[in-house]
Amino acid sequence: MEELSRPNTKAVAVPDEFSEQETQKGMYMTFKSGNEYYGLKIQYVNEIIGFQDITPVPETENYIMGLINLRGRIIPVIDVQKRFGQEPFEYNDRTCIIVVDVKSTTVGLIVEKIAEAVEIKDENILPPPTISRVDRIQNKYVYGIAKVGDSVKLLLDPERLLGEDEQQTAEQTNELMVEN
Amino acid sequence: MADEFNTDGMLDMYLFENEQLLEQLQEMVLEQKDAECFDEDSINEIFRTMHTIKGSSGIMMFDNITAIAHKLEDVFYFLRESHPDNVPHLELVEHVLEVEDFISGEMAKIKEGQSSDGDPSEIIDDLNQFLDKIKGNGNGEKAAKDIPENVHEEAKQFYIAPVANADSRFYKITVHFFQETEMSNVHAYKVVYALKEIAEDILYSPEEILTDESCADVILEKGFRILLQAQASEEEIREIIGIGYDIEKVDVLECKAEEFLKGFKFGEEETGIDLDSSVEEIEAKAENALEVKKENKIAPGDFVVKPKEQTKPKKVVKEKPKADNKATFISVNVSKMDMLMDLIGELVISESVVMQNPDLKVPGLDLTNFNKAATQMAKISTDLQNVIMSMRMVPLTNTFQKMNRIVFDVSRKLGKDIEFEMVGENTEVDKNIIEHISDPLMHIVRNALDHGIESNEERKAAGKKEKGKVTLSAKNEAGKVWISVTDNGKGLDRQKILSKARQQGILEEGKPDSAYSDKEVYQLITLPGFSTNDQVTEYSGRGVGMDVVVQNLQAIGGMLEIESTPGEGSTMNLKIPLTLAIIDGIVIETGTSSFVVETGLVKEFVSVREDMMIHEPNGDEFIMLRGECFPVLRLGDWYELENYCKNVEDGMMVVLELDGKTICMFVDKLVGKQEIVVKPIPSYIKKIKGLSGCTQLGDGSIALILDPSGFVE
Repeated sequence: MEELSRPNTKAVAVPDEFSEQETQKGMYMTFKSGNEYYGLKIQYVNEIIGFQDITPVPETENYIMGLINLRGRIIPVIDVQKRFGQEPFEYNDRTCIIVVDVKSTTVGLIVEKIAEAVEIKDENILPPPTISRVDRIQNKYVYGIAKVGDSVKLLLDPERLLGEDEQQTAEQTNELMVEN
Repeated sequence: MADEFNTDGMLDMYLFENEQLLEQLQEMVLEQKDAECFDEDSINEIFRTMHTIKGSSGIMMFDNITAIAHKLEDVFYFLRESHPDNVPHLELVEHVLEVEDFISGEMAKIKEGQSSDGDPSEIIDDLNQFLDKIKGNGNGEKAAKDIPENVHEEAKQFYIAPVANADSRFYKITVHFFQETEMSNVHAYKVVYALKEIAEDILYSPEEILTDESCADVILEKGFRILLQAQASEEEIREIIGIGYDIEKVDVLECKAEEFLKGFKFGEEETGIDLDSSVEEIEAKAENALEVKKENKIAPGDFVVKPKEQTKPKKVVKEKPKADNKATFISVNVSKMDMLMDLIGELVISESVVMQNPDLKVPGLDLTNFNKAATQMAKISTDLQNVIMSMRMVPLTNTFQKMNRIVFDVSRKLGKDIEFEMVGENTEVDKNIIEHISDPLMHIVRNALDHGIESNEERKAAGKKEKGKVTLSAKNEAGKVWISVTDNGKGLDRQKILSKARQQGILEEGKPDSAYSDKEVYQLITLPGFSTNDQVTEYSGRGVGMDVVVQNLQAIGGMLEIESTPGEGSTMNLKIPLTLAIIDGIVIETGTSSFVVETGLVKEFVSVREDMMIHEPNGDEFIMLRGECFPVLRLGDWYELENYCKNVEDGMMVVLELDGKTICMFVDKLVGKQEIVVKPIPSYIKKIKGLSGCTQLGDGSIALILDPSGFVE
């Protein structure tokens, strides 16, 4: 185990004890949505599946696309881009669904393109600047900005991404009111 | 202790076992509550139950439970040993239930992770008094004195021989020790130990020779008796026992196998008398007894010996006719059952994927053998589905038993003389549902006892026969379970309900009372805050309850119907789905979505013509069917679906009947009827009106299950 995990995590601050948690530390799943690249902590990611037929559910928020059948489990899927309030995109065969587990809720995230799994050191993560060029709604889900080589990845907090909507809209309006 | 081992598993087991024991205990006690006294089997059973609980609680170090179980065990030990005549039976029943409540209460605390801190001393004092009382009036003072205090008993020591064969001989041996022998019990054990060498089977009396020193006196007085099965001759046995410095005399009598099986001539009555007789007399008696045999024999009870079935088949059947009827159970974690259920659902789906595989559709393929095999497989998977469904079904017996207890308690507290009858308690219902109906049912039963049945005086005045009666019945009909609670009390007072409703402003202004049907009036009592009882009692009358009952029932798709005849009583009918997990549904399609509606709700399907429709200016639509007018709901409009069929002549009307209302649902087309496995809509998606769940169809796609009651609200 030790021999195996060491090469993978060579530069990351992994002390003496190794575990799955430890080897995953600092690893991020990145994907493209709109013009930006986003990162999700790999612990949350359950699996990545190809796009499949979605059963729409009426009377739900527009970003909840519906339900899919994941080997007998029925899980909801949401469109990340719609969630960010960006322009929706056409689904094609490159479209993927990232299945994430957040606090025992399993949800599929539809993303335009999976990029790669990268390792990001803590020192390369910065808190999002208060005045950011990223729009406000998006900013709510981003807890940090990471530099990877020359590019920048926005790190997402999946709990906030999935969180209760009423709460969020409430917060949103509050923020807007403060702003105005 | 907790530091050393992980006691979680033990604790679970402890709680589970004791819960079951207590349930059985309660059932048994209530069954016999109206009898004169407990029969012998029950006394033994209660004694044993308490003994087990005492033992396991001792291990788990719940001292209060141990103490109280021990006390009740003492009481039943006394009952078992001395058969006192005049035991106040109801008082005894109450004591047993009290102890049972205490233990259940403590176990509930333990379950929630609290420490078991209840103080049993009050109940123990009561039990002590009770014990003194029955001892006082017991079957003669001697009997009472003679029974040694019930000290903690370890596992019984008896030896069961592995084999018996034709050469075996049976002996009755009585060993008399010198009167001055100290610790004769240990000497007796020495004898047993020596005999074990040759014994195929050995029993002895008294049996607690190692654990109970007080039996030394008994041995001295009456001799130590042994039943031995061995191949040895009498001489050999005498040699083994050997008259020595301690043994005065050994009687060895050969006997027949049947006599051997009958056990000791060991009657309690004798024991009592013998106390005062001289040693010689006892000896004479013992001798006599051995000769006379057959009479007065008490077979070795379960505590004396457990005969080996192989050698003594008759005995076993005679002794435990009840035990054989009981099915054996294992407890399985429900989540494992759910998993199995899911897997079987998957299996069914993948089966249909195989069967409808496009590869099979190639023209000119000979599929005869394939189809044969496929049919066989389909049959097995259907059976599998049925079995897993039946595994989730649990009889209502336990729930009903709880009600029995409530009737007992409440009727005594209220001073009403009430008979309780259960009908069809073996009706099986899905486990999930049972959990949900227990509370509503309890409430309804309490209501019936408190409001329904009049006091004894009122009943007399009304000229009714003395006893009030509550009947709890269950039956299975049309895919639903009907549970009804019937009382023969005063019935609901229509006028009182109406005036109360007027007072509270529930009724429509200006609508006369007569415009409300009886059913509607009775339904009023299920509204929040409604109570016609002027006095609030311990059990009911606060007006909280019936609304909760109805809510709980609705949560599981059930309904409450109330019938009542003034002066003759009322009936509450609970209509409950048999299971939540599988429903018989009709699959329909609208737009690109599939929906399922429960078959039971569908009255008919109608193809309609445009001229049957009535359009209101505000957009509402109605349809005339055979002279009746029903509201129309377009499913596509309701859920704002895309691409659904707008022309009524191209689609299909599904006539749904629910809660006495009829609505027509307009859909694109019907797909078929099938059994579907209900799955909840993931909680991430908030509750949607009119949808109660989702399911997987044969092709793996997902359909939403409609709950038409959501349309009506």
